[in-house]
Amino acid sequence: MNRDSIVPTPLRHIPWRLLALVVTIGGFGLVVLYSAAGGNMRPWAMSQGIRFAMFVGLAILISWAGEERLKRAAMPTYGIIVFLLLLVELFGFVGGGSRRWLDLGFIRVQPSELMKPVIVLAVARFYDMLPAGEIRRFSAIWPPALLIGVPAALVLVQPDLGTALMICGGGVTVAFLAGVPLRLFGGAALALAAAFPIALSFMHDYQRDRIEIFLNPESDPLGTGYHIIQSKIAIGSGGLFGKGFLAGTQSHLDYLPERHTDFVFATMAEEWGLVGGVALILAFLLVIRWGMRVAGRAKGRFARLTAAGLATTIFFYVAINLAMVMGLAPVVGIPLPLVSFGGSAMMTVLICIGMLMAIDRSAQRP
Amino acid sequence: MNAIAAGLAPPRDRALVKNNDSVRVAHYRLMVLMLLFALMVGVISLRLLYLAVFDAPDRSPVASAIGPRADITDRNGVVLAATIKGISLAIRPPRVIGDKERLAAELARLFPNRSVDDYRRILHGRRKFVYLERGATPAKIHAVRLLGEPAIEEVPEPKRFYPQGTMAAQVIGYMDIGGVPVSGMEAFLDKRLTSAANGGQPVALSIDSRVQAALESAIRTSAEKYLAVGGAGVVLDVHTGEVLAMASLPVFNSNAPGLVPVGTDPLRPDARYNRAVSSVYELGSTFKVLTMANAIEHGVITDFGKRYDATAPLQVGGFRIKDDHPENRWMSVPDILIHSSNIGTARISEEIGPERTQAFFRQLGFDRPVDLELGARGKPLWPGFWARTTVMTVAYGHGIAVSQMHLANAYAAMVNGGILRPATMLKLPAGQAPQGKRVISEQTSYRIRQLMRLVVEEGTGRGANISGLRVGGKTGTAEKNLNGRYIHSSLVTTFAAAFPMDAPRYVVVVTMDEPKGIPETYGFRTAAWNALPAVKNVIARIGPLLGVIPDPSKDIDVSDLMPFVYKPEKKDTGVHAID
Repeated sequence: MNRDSIVPTPLRHIPWRLLALVVTIGGFGLVVLYSAAGGNMRPWAMSQGIRFAMFVGLAILISWAGEERLKRAAMPTYGIIVFLLLLVELFGFVGGGSRRWLDLGFIRVQPSELMKPVIVLAVARFYDMLPAGEIRRFSAIWPPALLIGVPAALVLVQPDLGTALMICGGGVTVAFLAGVPLRLFGGAALALAAAFPIALSFMHDYQRDRIEIFLNPESDPLGTGYHIIQSKIAIGSGGLFGKGFLAGTQSHLDYLPERHTDFVFATMAEEWGLVGGVALILAFLLVIRWGMRVAGRAKGRFARLTAAGLATTIFFYVAINLAMVMGLAPVVGIPLPLVSFGGSAMMTVLICIGMLMAIDRSAQRP
Repeated sequence: MNAIAAGLAPPRDRALVKNNDSVRVAHYRLMVLMLLFALMVGVISLRLLYLAVFDAPDRSPVASAIGPRADITDRNGVVLAATIKGISLAIRPPRVIGDKERLAAELARLFPNRSVDDYRRILHGRRKFVYLERGATPAKIHAVRLLGEPAIEEVPEPKRFYPQGTMAAQVIGYMDIGGVPVSGMEAFLDKRLTSAANGGQPVALSIDSRVQAALESAIRTSAEKYLAVGGAGVVLDVHTGEVLAMASLPVFNSNAPGLVPVGTDPLRPDARYNRAVSSVYELGSTFKVLTMANAIEHGVITDFGKRYDATAPLQVGGFRIKDDHPENRWMSVPDILIHSSNIGTARISEEIGPERTQAFFRQLGFDRPVDLELGARGKPLWPGFWARTTVMTVAYGHGIAVSQMHLANAYAAMVNGGILRPATMLKLPAGQAPQGKRVISEQTSYRIRQLMRLVVEEGTGRGANISGLRVGGKTGTAEKNLNGRYIHSSLVTTFAAAFPMDAPRYVVVVTMDEPKGIPETYGFRTAAWNALPAVKNVIARIGPLLGVIPDPSKDIDVSDLMPFVYKPEKKDTGVHAID
C-alpha cells in the first residue's frame, strides 16, 4: 500500500470497484421502478433512491467498524434480535397476511430480516470459539442447531417460510464451512426426504394445495399460480432484447402482481429481455464472488466463516427470488435485493456488504 | 480463546496441525459451495433462456398467419368471398374454476356436438386447450359469457365468408379450418389475395353473378325434373374467353364445405367436384359440328347439296355404325346435322382422314387438360390408336372424352369467326382479350353458324328456338363408358348452343349426368328432352340481361342452304324421337 498517496487513508480503503457495482445494480433497480410506475419517480423510484443512498452510507460506516467489534457484538446482537422476534410474536402487527413487523414508535422494523446476517455472525462466532478438535463431536452440532432452530421456528410461526429457510440456510452453510462432518449433512438430507411424505400426510389441505400449485401453477390460475403464469408470460414476451424501456405491457397493464417488489425481475426482463436478465445476474454474481474472495483472504476463523456466510446470504436472496419468478421454486416472498422496492431486504444486503468490507479492511491491515 | 474451550485445550502442536487441517477443509468446502452456487446460477440462466426464447408466448398467432385476405368479387363488384372478424370459443381445462360437473352439462347444452361424458373427459383430462366452436355466433358467445367461466376463451380469428352461399362454389373454392385455401380461385389467387403488393384490393372474376344464378337455377330445375345425378354448365364470352358462369351440380356451401346441403343425397358424388372442368365425358353428337367445320375448312365439303348414303347401317370390319333414328335415305350435309346422322358423319370423316382429324382436334386442345385457372382439370381420353373406325366414331363424339369446358371453348372458336382463345375465370380489362389463334376461316365459321341455326330451326334443337334471340346449337347424347363397356342405362346428354347466330356473343353449354325418362317426355331421355330445355331457359333469361335484345327482324341468312333441307311430303311429325 502506498502511504504517500494524496488520497486520505480512510477513503483509500473503501473498495470503490465493488461500490460502483453495487450502485450500478441499485441504479438499474431505480430505472426499473421508474418504468414500473409508468415513467414516474413516484411512488417508488424516489423513496427507493433516498433509501438506497442512506443504506450505502450505512454500509460504509459499518466497514469502519472492524472485525474485532463485529466479533464482540455477534452474540449480544443475536440475543437482542431473538428477543425482538419474541416481541413480534406477542405485540407485532399483521401486514400482508403475516405477523412480521414491530412498531417501535419511531420506526417499524422487521426483526426476522435482521436475523439473516446476524445468524451468520452468531454461528461463525460459535465455531470460532469451538476448539478445533471438537469439530467432530456432538457438542459441535447441538449448540448451533439451537442457535438456528430458535429464530427459525419463531419466524416460521409468523408465518414466513422464505425467511425461515434463509435463516436455516445461512446458519447451516456456516456450519458446513466450519468443517462439520459431511455425513451429518447427508443424514439430515435423507431424514428430510424420508419425512416429506409423512409431513405431507399431516399437512392441511391448503398446504398440500400450495405444493401442488408450485408443481403445476395452471391448477390455480387465479391464486398463487397466477403470479407465476403472468411472470413467465412477462419474461417470455421480453424475448432476447426486450420490448424496450417503458414499453412493457404485462407490468404496465397490471397483469403482473407485485411488479415492483417480489416480481420486479419479470418487469425488468419484459423490457430489457434476456440480455438485461443475464447482465443483472452477472452483476450479482460478481458481488458474490467478491464476498467469497473476501472469505478466502480473511485471517482467522470467525472472519472467514462470517464472510462466506454473508456472501451466501446474498446469494440466497438472489437465487431464491429468481427461481421463484421463473417458476423453479414455490412463491415464498423473497425480494430481489437492491432492485425490489422496499427497505428491509436492501438494508440487510447492504449491512452484509458493509460487514464484508469491514472484514476485508481488517484482513488488509498488516 | 474462551471459557468453554479453556479446559479442553489440547497440546499446542496438535492444535496447530488440527488448525491447518481445518483451514484446508474450510477452503475445500468454500470451493464446493462456490461450485454449487455456479451450478444454481447456471440452472437459473438456462431457465431464463428457455423462458425468454423458447417458451415465449405467441403474439397473436392467427392474425399473423392469415393476414388480411382480399375479397373476391364477380365482374360487376358483387362480393363472392370476404374476410370478416370471427370469434372461436375454446376452453383451457386446467384453468377451470367452477364446478366441472355443472360446466360439462352446460357445455353439452350449448355445444351439442359432444356429449356430457365427452366434456367431462375433456375437463378432467390433460389437454390444455380444446376448441368448443370455430366461428361462433354472437348469440353463442353471449351465452358462453353468461357461464362466467374464465377458462373459456374467445379467440379472435379472421373468417372467410361467402355471402352468396352455394353460388359458384366450385369456382370460388373454399378454405380449410386453418385458413388455407383448398380449391378453386381461392387456391389459384392465394398469393395475390394475401400479398402486400396487392394492398387488399378485391380481385374480380369473370363470373357475372346474374348469369351464374340463371345457369344454376336452370340446371337445378332440369336435374330435379329429369332425376339426373348431376349436371354442369358453362356460359362463355366467345370474343374474350371470359367464363361468365360455370355451374356444377350437386353443389356445396363454401361456408361449410364439409356439410352436404339439406335435401341432397349424401351418397351422391362429391359436391366439391367441378363437373364442368374436372369430368371428361364422351360428348356425342355435339362433335358433329366440329367435324363439319373440319370438312368445310379442308374442302372435303364444297357442295352442301352433296348427298351421303344413309340408307343402311355402315359396316366397317366387325363394327356397325347405326343412326339412332334412321332416315334410311341419302342425306345432304344440312340434313346430316339436322337429323344428327352418325352414318353420314362417318362417311364425311372417311374423306377427311385420320391425320387431318387428329390435327384439328389437337388444335382445339382436346389432347390435353383445358387451359384455365382452376385446379383439378380433367385430362381428356385421347384415343391411343387411330384405326379407321376410330376416325369415324370420333367424328360423332364417341371414343374420345373431353371436358365440357373443352367443348365450350371449341364452340366459341367455331362461331366467333374462327379464333380459339384460352378461357379465363378472371375479368379482363375492356379490349384486353388475348389474341388467340385461328383454327378455321371466317367463311367456315359463317357456314357453321348457318348450320347450327338450322339445327334449332329445323332439327333436333327445335325446342331451343326463342323468338328473336337467334339461337343455334347442337344436341349430343352418349352412353357412359365404365371400364370399357358402354352402359346403356346411363346417359350423358349435352346441348351446346350459341346466340345470337347473326353476330354470336355467347356460348352456353349444359350437360346432364344420367337424366331419366319421365312421363312428360314419353320416356325419352336424350339431350333434346333435358339438357336443351335448361339451355333455352338460360338464354331466355340472360339474353336481354347481357344486352342481346330479342329482335324477330334479325337473323342469320340460311336461305342458300334451305334447298338442301329435306322436307317430307306428308309426314305428321308428332312426337319426334330425336337426336
